[in-house]
Amino acid sequence: MGVLENKARARLFYKYLSKVYDRVNPFIWNEEMRDEALEMLDIQQGDRVLDVGCGTGFGTEGLLRYTDDVHGLDQSIHQMQKAWEKFGKNDEVRFYRGDAERLPFADDSFDVIWSSGSIEYWPNPVTALEEFRRVVKPGSKVLVVGPDDPKSGVFQKLADAIMLFYDEEEADRMFEAAGFVDIEHHILQRQPGSPRAIVTIARAPEE
Amino acid sequence: MKESLMDILCDPLDKSELELEVDERDGDEILEGRLIGTVTGEVYPIEDGIPNLLPPDMRD
Repeated sequence: MGVLENKARARLFYKYLSKVYDRVNPFIWNEEMRDEALEMLDIQQGDRVLDVGCGTGFGTEGLLRYTDDVHGLDQSIHQMQKAWEKFGKNDEVRFYRGDAERLPFADDSFDVIWSSGSIEYWPNPVTALEEFRRVVKPGSKVLVVGPDDPKSGVFQKLADAIMLFYDEEEADRMFEAAGFVDIEHHILQRQPGSPRAIVTIARAPEE
Repeated sequence: MKESLMDILCDPLDKSELELEVDERDGDEILEGRLIGTVTGEVYPIEDGIPNLLPPDMRD
């Protein structure tokens, strides 16, 4: 059980993290990596896309290049305030405060779901992924970016204490348990030696 | 939030329908008001155009 796998603590953490997030995050997840991940999805203009854990709006910004119909959800108001500075509160993006594990959307509402840098803070990732499968249209895709398991002694222990890390095998297990099919993984890394991001794309089964 | 979003929004607790109560609007944009669970009775505030659909146990 990591220290952030408690939502109140995660909120407090993010309140402070949001001040530096856009400066720290590029070491793990930068624009090039984001754009490469976006290319893996086939987002068409007009598609309704949900960005779960949109935070400061780094992924949201990329999604807007593909479609006008982008919806951002986050539990933390402090993170989202940064996004509002970029896109306005009620302008380019529809924003909601909400919980990834209990999404406030009807079944089959979205054409694509994107989530980057959020899964590592979900207490029950499979529960959130089940919600993704419920609200994405049958046959449509979801893309989730998280931190790849570092697999090395000391850093591994530190990593597990802070947040969830997982490898391809674990990602397969989580996405299968949530009912997804056609699960594929891509490991992205800014440069050799920097932390690796794991991008998982999966499809909700047809009815 | 836009009123048309009522088509996709639901109560996060049991996924039942929500009822919209508007205090202030600007065209089709709802600025202040609330969404109320038609089954749970839970009240989700809309503040400065942003619906707060966090379940009650996660609110500040």
